[in-house]
Amino acid sequence: MGGYGDVQLLREDGSRLDGRKLDEMRPVKIEAGVLPAADGSAMVTHGLNVAVAAVYGPMEAHPRKIQRQDRAVIDVRYNMAPFSTSDRIRPGFNRRSREISKVTAEALESVVLVELYPRSKIRVEIEILAAEAGTRCAGITAAAVALADAGIPMRDLIVGVASGKIEDTVVLDLDKAEDNYGQADLPVGILPNTGEIAFLQMDGDLSPDEYNLAMEYNFKAAKEIHEVMVEALQRRYQGGDV
Amino acid sequence: MPELVPSLLRQELARLAEEDSRLDGRGRWEPREITLETDCLYNAEGSAKVTMGGTIVYAGVKFELRTPWPDRPTQGSLMCGAELRPVAGRKYEPGPPSPQSIELSRVVDRGIRESGCIDMESLCIVPGEKVWGVMIDIHVLSDQGNIFDACGLAAIAALRTAVVPAERFDVGEDHKLQVSSTPIMASFTRAGGRFVYDASEEEELGGDERIHITLGDKGHLHSLQKGLKGVFTPAEFAEIFDEAQKHCVVLRKLVAKEEGN
Repeated sequence: MGGYGDVQLLREDGSRLDGRKLDEMRPVKIEAGVLPAADGSAMVTHGLNVAVAAVYGPMEAHPRKIQRQDRAVIDVRYNMAPFSTSDRIRPGFNRRSREISKVTAEALESVVLVELYPRSKIRVEIEILAAEAGTRCAGITAAAVALADAGIPMRDLIVGVASGKIEDTVVLDLDKAEDNYGQADLPVGILPNTGEIAFLQMDGDLSPDEYNLAMEYNFKAAKEIHEVMVEALQRRYQGGDV
Repeated sequence: MPELVPSLLRQELARLAEEDSRLDGRGRWEPREITLETDCLYNAEGSAKVTMGGTIVYAGVKFELRTPWPDRPTQGSLMCGAELRPVAGRKYEPGPPSPQSIELSRVVDRGIRESGCIDMESLCIVPGEKVWGVMIDIHVLSDQGNIFDACGLAAIAALRTAVVPAERFDVGEDHKLQVSSTPIMASFTRAGGRFVYDASEEEELGGDERIHITLGDKGHLHSLQKGLKGVFTPAEFAEIFDEAQKHCVVLRKLVAKEEGN
Protein backbone atom coordinates (compact mmCIF):
# COMPACT_ATOMS: atom_id res chain seq x y z
CA MET A 1 0.00 0.00 0.00
CA GLY A 2 1.21 3.46 -0.88
CA GLY A 3 2.06 6.57 1.11
CA TYR A 4 -0.11 6.29 4.19
CA GLY A 5 -0.82 9.38 6.23
CA ASP A 6 -0.23 12.19 3.76
CA VAL A 7 -3.63 12.18 2.08
CA GLN A 8 -6.95 12.66 3.82
CA LEU A 9 -9.39 9.93 2.77
CA LEU A 10 -12.21 10.45 5.26
CA ARG A 11 -14.22 13.62 5.75
CA GLU A 12 -14.86 15.30 9.11
CA ASP A 13 -18.26 13.58 9.32
CA GLY A 14 -16.67 10.15 8.81
CA SER A 15 -17.90 9.62 5.25
CA ARG A 16 -15.58 8.78 2.37
CA LEU A 17 -14.38 11.25 -0.26
CA ASP A 18 -16.84 9.95 -2.88
CA GLY A 19 -19.68 10.19 -0.33
CA ARG A 20 -19.97 6.47 0.39
CA LYS A 21 -20.56 5.05 3.85
CA LEU A 22 -17.84 2.81 5.31
CA ASP A 23 -19.66 -0.38 4.38
CA GLU A 24 -21.04 0.82 1.05
CA MET A 25 -19.73 -0.56 -2.23
CA ARG A 26 -19.56 1.16 -5.59
CA PRO A 27 -22.45 0.47 -7.98
CA VAL A 28 -22.17 -2.81 -9.89
CA LYS A 29 -23.71 -3.54 -13.29
CA ILE A 30 -23.43 -6.88 -15.05
CA GLU A 31 -24.39 -8.01 -18.53
CA ALA A 32 -24.10 -11.64 -19.67
CA GLY A 33 -23.50 -12.78 -23.24
CA VAL A 34 -21.79 -9.65 -24.58
CA LEU A 35 -19.29 -11.27 -26.98
CA PRO A 36 -20.79 -13.18 -29.93
CA ALA A 37 -17.53 -15.01 -30.74
CA ALA A 38 -17.22 -16.56 -27.27
CA ASP A 39 -18.99 -19.63 -25.86
CA GLY A 40 -19.84 -17.56 -22.79
CA SER A 41 -19.12 -13.96 -21.83
CA ALA A 42 -19.91 -11.16 -19.40
CA MET A 43 -19.15 -7.51 -18.80
CA VAL A 44 -18.89 -6.23 -15.23
CA THR A 45 -18.89 -2.51 -14.48
CA HIS A 46 -17.85 -2.05 -10.85
CA GLY A 47 -17.61 1.64 -10.08
CA LEU A 48 -15.37 2.93 -12.85
CA ASN A 49 -13.79 -0.49 -13.48
CA VAL A 50 -14.83 -2.34 -16.61
CA ALA A 51 -13.95 -6.04 -16.89
CA VAL A 52 -14.94 -8.30 -19.78
CA ALA A 53 -14.60 -12.08 -19.61
CA ALA A 54 -14.82 -14.59 -22.44
CA VAL A 55 -15.01 -18.37 -22.00
CA TYR A 56 -14.03 -20.87 -24.70
CA GLY A 57 -14.49 -24.61 -24.26
CA PRO A 58 -14.38 -27.17 -22.87
CA MET A 59 -11.97 -28.01 -25.69
CA GLU A 60 -9.07 -30.35 -26.29
CA ALA A 61 -6.17 -29.50 -24.01
CA HIS A 62 -2.97 -28.98 -25.92
CA PRO A 63 -0.03 -29.26 -25.66
CA ARG A 64 -0.68 -32.72 -24.19
CA LYS A 65 1.58 -32.16 -21.23
CA ILE A 66 -0.98 -29.77 -19.70
CA GLN A 67 -3.71 -32.46 -19.84
CA ARG A 68 -4.94 -33.95 -16.60
CA GLN A 69 -6.34 -37.47 -16.77
CA ASP A 70 -8.99 -36.84 -14.13
CA ARG A 71 -10.19 -33.33 -14.82
CA ALA A 72 -10.24 -30.23 -17.00
CA VAL A 73 -7.62 -27.53 -16.63
CA ILE A 74 -8.71 -23.91 -16.53
CA ASP A 75 -6.45 -21.58 -18.45
CA VAL A 76 -6.97 -17.98 -17.28
CA ARG A 77 -5.46 -14.88 -18.75
CA TYR A 78 -6.02 -11.61 -16.88
CA ASN A 79 -4.93 -8.70 -19.06
CA MET A 80 -5.15 -4.94 -18.71
CA ALA A 81 -5.76 -3.11 -21.98
CA PRO A 82 -3.07 -0.51 -22.75
CA PHE A 83 -5.64 2.30 -22.41
CA SER A 84 -7.20 1.01 -19.18
CA THR A 85 -5.11 3.14 -16.82
CA SER A 86 -4.06 6.75 -16.47
CA ASP A 87 -0.56 6.02 -17.85
CA ARG A 88 -0.56 3.68 -20.83
CA ILE A 89 0.47 0.10 -20.08
CA ARG A 90 2.85 -1.59 -22.50
CA PRO A 91 0.93 -4.55 -24.04
CA GLY A 92 1.80 -8.04 -22.92
CA PHE A 93 2.09 -10.02 -19.72
CA ASN A 94 3.90 -8.71 -16.67
CA ARG A 95 4.56 -10.29 -13.27
CA ARG A 96 1.41 -8.83 -11.76
CA SER A 97 -0.92 -10.12 -14.48
CA ARG A 98 0.74 -13.55 -14.42
CA GLU A 99 0.22 -13.89 -10.69
CA ILE A 100 -3.40 -12.72 -10.85
CA SER A 101 -4.06 -15.12 -13.74
CA LYS A 102 -2.61 -18.02 -11.76
CA VAL A 103 -4.55 -17.50 -8.53
CA THR A 104 -7.75 -16.68 -10.44
CA ALA A 105 -7.44 -19.96 -12.38
CA GLU A 106 -7.00 -21.88 -9.13
CA ALA A 107 -10.03 -20.15 -7.64
CA LEU A 108 -12.17 -21.00 -10.67
CA GLU A 109 -10.93 -24.63 -10.64
CA SER A 110 -12.35 -24.84 -7.14
CA VAL A 111 -15.90 -24.03 -8.26
CA VAL A 112 -16.14 -25.48 -11.78
CA LEU A 113 -16.97 -29.23 -11.84
CA VAL A 114 -13.67 -29.88 -13.62
CA GLU A 115 -13.89 -33.63 -13.01
CA LEU A 116 -16.68 -33.80 -15.62
CA TYR A 117 -14.22 -32.93 -18.41
CA PRO A 118 -11.07 -35.05 -18.14
CA ARG A 119 -8.17 -34.17 -20.47
CA SER A 120 -9.87 -30.99 -21.64
CA LYS A 121 -9.23 -27.29 -21.23
CA ILE A 122 -11.50 -24.35 -20.47
CA ARG A 123 -10.12 -21.00 -21.55
CA VAL A 124 -11.09 -17.91 -19.55
CA GLU A 125 -9.95 -14.56 -20.94
CA ILE A 126 -10.33 -11.57 -18.61
CA GLU A 127 -9.77 -8.19 -20.26
CA ILE A 128 -9.73 -5.01 -18.17
CA LEU A 129 -10.91 -2.05 -20.27
CA ALA A 130 -10.91 0.52 -17.46
CA ALA A 131 -9.04 0.19 -14.17
CA GLU A 132 -9.81 2.20 -11.01
CA ALA A 133 -8.86 -0.22 -8.17
CA GLY A 134 -10.48 -3.61 -7.79
CA THR A 135 -9.97 -5.04 -11.27
CA ARG A 136 -9.02 -8.54 -10.14
CA CYS A 137 -12.30 -8.76 -8.22
CA ALA A 138 -14.34 -7.42 -11.13
CA GLY A 139 -12.51 -9.94 -13.33
CA ILE A 140 -13.40 -12.88 -11.06
CA THR A 141 -17.05 -11.83 -11.01
CA ALA A 142 -17.06 -11.46 -14.80
CA ALA A 143 -15.38 -14.86 -15.23
CA ALA A 144 -17.99 -16.55 -13.05
CA VAL A 145 -20.90 -15.08 -15.03
CA ALA A 146 -19.17 -15.95 -18.32
CA LEU A 147 -18.64 -19.57 -17.20
CA ALA A 148 -22.31 -19.83 -16.27
CA ASP A 149 -23.25 -18.20 -19.59
CA ALA A 150 -21.16 -20.86 -21.37
CA GLY A 151 -23.23 -23.54 -19.63
CA ILE A 152 -20.28 -24.95 -17.72
CA PRO A 153 -21.41 -26.81 -14.57
CA MET A 154 -20.29 -25.17 -11.33
CA ARG A 155 -20.79 -25.89 -7.63
CA ASP A 156 -21.62 -22.25 -7.07
CA LEU A 157 -20.92 -18.85 -8.57
CA ILE A 158 -17.88 -16.98 -7.29
CA VAL A 159 -17.97 -13.29 -6.40
CA GLY A 160 -14.91 -11.04 -6.32
CA VAL A 161 -15.01 -8.36 -3.60
CA ALA A 162 -12.49 -6.42 -1.53
CA SER A 163 -12.36 -4.51 1.72
CA GLY A 164 -9.48 -2.55 3.12
CA LYS A 165 -8.28 -0.01 5.64
CA ILE A 166 -7.95 3.75 5.27
CA GLU A 167 -7.00 6.14 8.09
CA ASP A 168 -7.14 3.25 10.58
CA THR A 169 -10.73 2.55 9.54
CA VAL A 170 -11.99 -0.59 7.81
CA VAL A 171 -13.98 0.18 4.64
CA LEU A 172 -15.65 -1.87 1.93
CA ASP A 173 -14.50 -1.73 -1.70
CA LEU A 174 -11.53 0.65 -1.98
CA ASP A 175 -11.57 3.15 -4.85
CA LYS A 176 -8.45 4.40 -6.64
CA ALA A 177 -7.40 7.04 -4.10
CA GLU A 178 -8.17 4.74 -1.15
CA ASP A 179 -6.15 1.96 -2.77
CA ASN A 180 -3.21 4.25 -3.48
CA TYR A 181 -3.06 5.91 -0.07
CA GLY A 182 -4.75 3.35 2.16
CA GLN A 183 -3.21 0.92 4.66
CA ALA A 184 -4.56 -2.47 3.62
CA ASP A 185 -6.47 -4.31 0.90
CA LEU A 186 -8.19 -7.69 1.26
CA PRO A 187 -9.57 -9.01 -2.05
CA VAL A 188 -11.43 -12.32 -1.84
CA GLY A 189 -13.49 -14.63 -4.04
CA ILE A 190 -16.57 -15.83 -2.18
CA LEU A 191 -18.92 -18.69 -3.02
CA PRO A 192 -22.21 -17.00 -2.14
CA ASN A 193 -24.29 -20.12 -1.52
CA THR A 194 -21.81 -22.24 0.41
CA GLY A 195 -20.10 -19.34 2.17
CA GLU A 196 -16.67 -20.70 1.25
CA ILE A 197 -13.67 -18.68 0.06
CA ALA A 198 -11.86 -19.68 -3.13
CA PHE A 199 -9.66 -16.63 -3.67
CA LEU A 200 -7.69 -14.77 -1.03
CA GLN A 201 -5.02 -12.13 -1.15
CA MET A 202 -4.09 -9.34 1.21
CA ASP A 203 -1.46 -6.68 1.60
CA GLY A 204 -0.88 -3.95 4.14
CA ASP A 205 -1.54 -4.03 7.86
CA LEU A 206 -4.69 -5.37 9.57
CA SER A 207 -5.28 -6.36 13.18
CA PRO A 208 -7.22 -9.61 13.75
CA ASP A 209 -10.32 -7.57 14.61
CA GLU A 210 -9.92 -5.44 11.50
CA TYR A 211 -9.54 -8.60 9.42
CA ASN A 212 -12.79 -9.97 10.84
CA LEU A 213 -14.67 -6.75 10.13
CA ALA A 214 -13.23 -6.52 6.60
CA MET A 215 -14.31 -10.10 5.93
CA GLU A 216 -17.77 -9.35 7.32
CA TYR A 217 -18.05 -6.45 4.86
CA ASN A 218 -16.85 -8.71 2.05
CA PHE A 219 -19.53 -11.32 2.73
CA LYS A 220 -22.21 -8.62 2.85
CA ALA A 221 -21.06 -7.20 -0.49
CA ALA A 222 -20.77 -10.66 -2.05
CA LYS A 223 -24.44 -11.23 -1.31
CA GLU A 224 -25.37 -7.97 -3.06
CA ILE A 225 -23.19 -8.66 -6.10
CA HIS A 226 -24.49 -12.23 -6.29
CA GLU A 227 -28.00 -10.88 -6.78
CA VAL A 228 -26.81 -8.70 -9.67
CA MET A 229 -25.04 -11.73 -11.23
CA VAL A 230 -28.16 -13.87 -11.00
CA GLU A 231 -30.29 -11.08 -12.48
CA ALA A 232 -27.86 -10.74 -15.40
CA LEU A 233 -28.09 -14.47 -16.13
CA GLN A 234 -31.87 -14.44 -15.80
CA ARG A 235 -32.10 -11.51 -18.23
CA ARG A 236 -29.89 -13.40 -20.66
CA TYR A 237 -32.07 -16.49 -20.52
CA GLN A 238 -35.43 -14.72 -20.44
CA GLY A 239 -36.43 -15.20 -16.84
CA GLY A 240 -35.40 -18.85 -16.48
CA ASP A 241 -34.35 -20.15 -13.07
CA VAL A 242 -30.64 -19.91 -12.38
CA MET B 1 -16.10 -23.29 -35.98
CA PRO B 2 -16.38 -25.28 -39.18
CA GLU B 3 -12.63 -25.56 -39.69
CA LEU B 4 -13.07 -29.24 -40.45
CA VAL B 5 -15.20 -28.51 -43.50
CA PRO B 6 -13.55 -25.68 -45.44
CA SER B 7 -13.92 -27.52 -48.75
CA LEU B 8 -17.65 -27.97 -48.21
CA LEU B 9 -17.83 -24.32 -47.20
CA ARG B 10 -15.97 -23.32 -50.36
CA GLN B 11 -18.43 -25.28 -52.48
CA GLU B 12 -21.36 -23.64 -50.72
CA LEU B 13 -19.87 -20.15 -51.17
CA ALA B 14 -19.34 -20.87 -54.89
CA ARG B 15 -22.94 -22.05 -55.26
CA LEU B 16 -24.26 -18.94 -53.48
CA ALA B 17 -22.07 -16.72 -55.66
CA GLU B 18 -23.75 -18.12 -58.77
CA GLU B 19 -27.11 -17.14 -57.31
CA ASP B 20 -25.67 -13.74 -56.31
CA SER B 21 -26.49 -14.54 -52.69
CA ARG B 22 -24.57 -14.87 -49.42
CA LEU B 23 -24.63 -17.23 -46.43
CA ASP B 24 -26.49 -14.69 -44.29
CA GLY B 25 -28.70 -13.54 -47.15
CA ARG B 26 -26.95 -10.21 -47.69
CA GLY B 27 -26.36 -8.59 -51.07
CA ARG B 28 -22.83 -8.68 -52.43
CA TRP B 29 -22.01 -5.12 -51.31
CA GLU B 30 -24.30 -4.99 -48.30
CA PRO B 31 -22.74 -4.42 -44.84
CA ARG B 32 -23.94 -5.97 -41.60
CA GLU B 33 -25.41 -3.68 -38.95
CA ILE B 34 -22.79 -1.21 -37.75
CA THR B 35 -22.78 0.67 -34.44
CA LEU B 36 -20.34 3.31 -33.25
CA GLU B 37 -20.04 4.70 -29.74
CA THR B 38 -17.38 7.18 -28.62
CA ASP B 39 -16.10 8.35 -25.20
CA CYS B 40 -16.82 4.92 -23.76
CA LEU B 41 -13.58 4.16 -21.88
CA TYR B 42 -12.99 6.06 -18.63
CA ASN B 43 -9.19 6.18 -18.58
CA ALA B 44 -8.56 6.72 -22.30
CA GLU B 45 -8.15 10.28 -23.62
CA GLY B 46 -10.22 9.31 -26.65
CA SER B 47 -12.17 6.12 -27.19
CA ALA B 48 -14.57 4.29 -29.45
CA LYS B 49 -16.45 1.02 -29.61
CA VAL B 50 -17.44 -0.39 -33.00
CA THR B 51 -19.64 -3.38 -33.70
CA MET B 52 -20.09 -4.87 -37.17
CA GLY B 53 -22.46 -7.80 -36.84
CA GLY B 54 -20.87 -10.00 -34.15
CA THR B 55 -17.48 -8.30 -34.40
CA ILE B 56 -16.67 -6.02 -31.44
CA VAL B 57 -13.65 -3.71 -31.30
CA TYR B 58 -12.56 -1.03 -28.83
CA ALA B 59 -9.94 1.66 -29.48
CA GLY B 60 -8.36 3.90 -26.86
CA VAL B 61 -6.03 6.88 -27.33
CA LYS B 62 -3.27 7.67 -24.81
CA PHE B 63 -0.65 10.42 -24.85
CA GLU B 64 2.90 10.49 -23.54
CA LEU B 65 5.62 13.11 -23.42
CA ARG B 66 8.81 12.16 -25.23
CA THR B 67 11.89 13.68 -26.77
CA PRO B 68 11.58 14.13 -30.54
CA TRP B 69 13.71 12.20 -33.03
CA PRO B 70 16.94 14.18 -33.63
CA ASP B 71 16.19 14.56 -37.37
CA ARG B 72 12.64 15.81 -36.70
CA PRO B 73 12.97 18.07 -33.66
CA THR B 74 9.58 19.77 -34.15
CA GLN B 75 7.45 16.70 -34.79
CA GLY B 76 5.47 14.51 -32.42
CA SER B 77 4.64 10.93 -33.24
CA LEU B 78 1.69 8.65 -33.86
CA MET B 79 1.58 4.94 -33.20
CA CYS B 80 -1.26 2.57 -33.84
CA GLY B 81 -1.27 -0.93 -32.38
CA ALA B 82 -3.90 -3.64 -32.65
CA GLU B 83 -3.97 -6.58 -30.30
CA LEU B 84 -5.47 -9.86 -31.42
CA ARG B 85 -5.64 -11.47 -28.03
CA PRO B 86 -7.15 -14.90 -27.35
CA VAL B 87 -10.32 -13.23 -26.05
CA ALA B 88 -11.29 -12.45 -29.66
CA GLY B 89 -12.01 -15.99 -30.75
CA ARG B 90 -11.30 -19.68 -30.44
CA LYS B 91 -8.68 -19.55 -33.18
CA TYR B 92 -6.46 -17.00 -31.41
CA GLU B 93 -3.56 -18.27 -29.31
CA PRO B 94 -1.72 -16.53 -26.52
CA GLY B 95 1.83 -15.42 -27.20
CA PRO B 96 3.81 -12.61 -28.78
CA PRO B 97 2.08 -10.51 -31.48
CA SER B 98 1.23 -12.73 -34.44
CA PRO B 99 2.04 -11.74 -38.05
CA GLN B 100 -1.73 -11.22 -38.51
CA SER B 101 -1.98 -8.70 -35.68
CA ILE B 102 1.13 -6.88 -36.90
CA GLU B 103 -0.33 -6.64 -40.41
CA LEU B 104 -3.62 -5.38 -38.99
CA SER B 105 -1.85 -2.73 -36.88
CA ARG B 106 0.28 -1.53 -39.74
CA VAL B 107 -2.53 -1.32 -42.29
CA VAL B 108 -4.68 0.71 -39.89
CA ASP B 109 -1.67 2.84 -38.94
CA ARG B 110 -0.78 3.61 -42.56
CA GLY B 111 -4.31 4.68 -43.47
CA ILE B 112 -4.41 7.20 -40.64
CA ARG B 113 -0.79 8.37 -40.89
CA GLU B 114 -0.69 8.79 -44.68
CA SER B 115 -3.99 10.67 -44.81
CA GLY B 116 -2.14 13.46 -42.97
CA CYS B 117 -5.11 13.96 -40.66
CA ILE B 118 -2.71 14.61 -37.77
CA ASP B 119 -0.24 17.44 -38.24
CA MET B 120 2.87 16.12 -36.49
CA GLU B 121 4.13 19.70 -36.02
CA SER B 122 1.04 20.43 -33.89
CA LEU B 123 2.29 17.80 -31.40
CA CYS B 124 5.43 19.80 -30.62
CA ILE B 125 5.67 21.43 -27.18
CA VAL B 126 9.34 22.50 -26.98
CA PRO B 127 11.32 21.98 -30.23
CA GLY B 128 14.10 19.45 -29.80
CA GLU B 129 13.03 18.70 -26.24
CA LYS B 130 9.42 17.79 -25.71
CA VAL B 131 6.72 16.48 -28.06
CA TRP B 132 3.54 14.44 -27.68
CA GLY B 133 3.49 10.79 -28.61
CA VAL B 134 -0.02 9.75 -29.56
CA MET B 135 -0.82 6.08 -29.13
CA ILE B 136 -3.92 4.38 -30.46
CA ASP B 137 -4.42 0.92 -29.00
CA ILE B 138 -7.04 -1.26 -30.62
CA HIS B 139 -8.50 -4.20 -28.75
CA VAL B 140 -10.48 -6.83 -30.66
CA LEU B 141 -12.91 -8.47 -28.23
CA SER B 142 -14.97 -10.57 -30.64
CA ASP B 143 -13.95 -11.54 -34.18
CA GLN B 144 -16.84 -12.58 -36.39
CA GLY B 145 -15.31 -11.25 -39.59
CA ASN B 146 -13.91 -8.04 -41.10
CA ILE B 147 -11.93 -6.86 -38.09
CA PHE B 148 -9.86 -4.60 -40.37
CA ASP B 149 -12.73 -2.21 -41.10
CA ALA B 150 -13.92 -2.31 -37.49
CA CYS B 151 -10.41 -1.50 -36.23
CA GLY B 152 -9.93 1.30 -38.77
CA LEU B 153 -13.26 2.88 -37.85
CA ALA B 154 -12.69 2.57 -34.09
CA ALA B 155 -9.20 4.07 -34.41
CA ILE B 156 -10.20 7.21 -36.33
CA ALA B 157 -13.34 7.74 -34.23
CA ALA B 158 -11.31 7.47 -31.00
CA LEU B 159 -8.68 9.83 -32.38
CA ARG B 160 -11.29 12.40 -33.39
CA THR B 161 -12.71 12.51 -29.86
CA ALA B 162 -9.32 12.64 -28.10
CA VAL B 163 -8.44 15.40 -25.64
CA VAL B 164 -4.74 16.15 -25.10
CA PRO B 165 -4.21 15.82 -21.30
CA ALA B 166 -1.78 18.75 -21.08
CA GLU B 167 -2.80 19.70 -17.53
CA ARG B 168 -1.94 16.27 -16.13
CA PHE B 169 1.54 16.57 -17.65
CA ASP B 170 1.90 20.22 -16.59
CA VAL B 171 2.42 21.56 -20.12
CA GLY B 172 -0.55 23.89 -20.61
CA GLU B 173 -4.30 23.51 -20.85
CA ASP B 174 -6.22 20.44 -22.00
CA HIS B 175 -7.35 20.81 -25.59
CA LYS B 176 -8.97 18.76 -28.30
CA LEU B 177 -6.54 16.88 -30.54
CA GLN B 178 -6.54 18.47 -34.01
CA VAL B 179 -7.65 15.86 -36.55
CA SER B 180 -8.25 17.43 -39.93
CA SER B 181 -9.92 14.57 -41.81
CA THR B 182 -11.55 11.16 -41.45
CA PRO B 183 -9.74 8.38 -43.34
CA ILE B 184 -11.95 5.28 -43.63
CA MET B 185 -11.11 1.70 -44.59
CA ALA B 186 -13.23 -0.57 -46.77
CA SER B 187 -12.32 -4.25 -47.08
CA PHE B 188 -13.30 -6.85 -49.65
CA THR B 189 -12.83 -10.61 -49.48
CA ARG B 190 -13.03 -13.08 -52.35
CA ALA B 191 -15.73 -15.57 -51.37
CA GLY B 192 -17.12 -18.06 -53.85
CA GLY B 193 -14.89 -16.62 -56.56
CA ARG B 194 -16.10 -13.02 -56.40
CA PHE B 195 -15.37 -10.12 -54.06
CA VAL B 196 -17.86 -9.23 -51.32
CA TYR B 197 -17.90 -6.30 -48.90
CA ASP B 198 -17.74 -6.76 -45.10
CA ALA B 199 -17.05 -10.50 -45.11
CA SER B 200 -18.36 -12.64 -42.27
CA GLU B 201 -16.17 -15.10 -40.38
CA GLU B 202 -17.44 -18.00 -42.53
CA GLU B 203 -16.74 -16.09 -45.74
CA GLU B 204 -13.20 -15.41 -44.54
CA LEU B 205 -12.74 -19.06 -43.60
CA GLY B 206 -13.96 -20.39 -46.95
CA GLY B 207 -12.67 -17.47 -49.00
CA ASP B 208 -9.43 -16.34 -50.58
CA GLU B 209 -7.56 -13.06 -50.73
CA ARG B 210 -8.72 -9.81 -49.21
CA ILE B 211 -8.12 -6.22 -50.27
CA HIS B 212 -8.15 -3.25 -47.90
CA ILE B 213 -8.60 0.28 -49.24
CA THR B 214 -8.32 3.38 -47.06
CA LEU B 215 -9.78 6.57 -48.53
CA GLY B 216 -9.56 10.16 -47.37
CA ASP B 217 -12.23 12.87 -47.32
CA LYS B 218 -11.70 13.65 -51.00
CA GLY B 219 -11.78 10.02 -52.06
CA HIS B 220 -8.01 9.81 -52.44
CA LEU B 221 -6.22 6.53 -51.71
CA HIS B 222 -4.09 6.54 -48.55
CA SER B 223 -3.37 2.87 -48.00
CA LEU B 224 -3.83 -0.35 -49.90
CA GLN B 225 -3.13 -3.88 -48.84
CA LYS B 226 -3.69 -7.24 -50.41
CA GLY B 227 -3.60 -10.11 -47.92
CA LEU B 228 -3.72 -13.91 -48.19
CA LYS B 229 -3.23 -16.20 -51.17
CA GLY B 230 -4.90 -15.24 -54.42
CA VAL B 231 -4.77 -12.95 -57.43
CA PHE B 232 -7.13 -10.33 -58.84
CA THR B 233 -7.53 -8.39 -62.10
CA PRO B 234 -7.46 -4.61 -62.62
CA ALA B 235 -11.13 -4.82 -63.65
CA GLU B 236 -12.01 -6.47 -60.34
CA PHE B 237 -10.13 -3.75 -58.47
CA ALA B 238 -11.98 -1.03 -60.40
CA GLU B 239 -15.27 -2.56 -59.31
CA ILE B 240 -14.43 -2.75 -55.61
CA PHE B 241 -12.79 0.67 -55.67
CA ASP B 242 -16.11 2.18 -56.76
CA GLU B 243 -17.86 0.33 -53.96
CA ALA B 244 -15.21 1.44 -51.46
CA GLN B 245 -15.89 5.08 -52.34
CA LYS B 246 -19.59 4.67 -51.52
CA HIS B 247 -19.04 2.79 -48.25
CA CYS B 248 -16.39 5.22 -47.02
CA VAL B 249 -18.78 8.15 -47.49
CA VAL B 250 -21.44 6.34 -45.44
CA LEU B 251 -19.03 5.50 -42.60
CA ARG B 252 -17.56 9.00 -42.57
CA LYS B 253 -21.09 10.35 -42.06
CA LEU B 254 -21.54 7.90 -39.19
CA VAL B 255 -18.39 9.27 -37.51
CA ALA B 256 -19.58 12.85 -38.05
CA LYS B 257 -22.99 12.01 -36.61
CA GLU B 258 -21.42 10.45 -33.50
CA GLU B 259 -19.41 13.68 -33.09
CA GLY B 260 -22.65 15.63 -33.26
CA ASN B 261 -22.12 17.15 -36.71
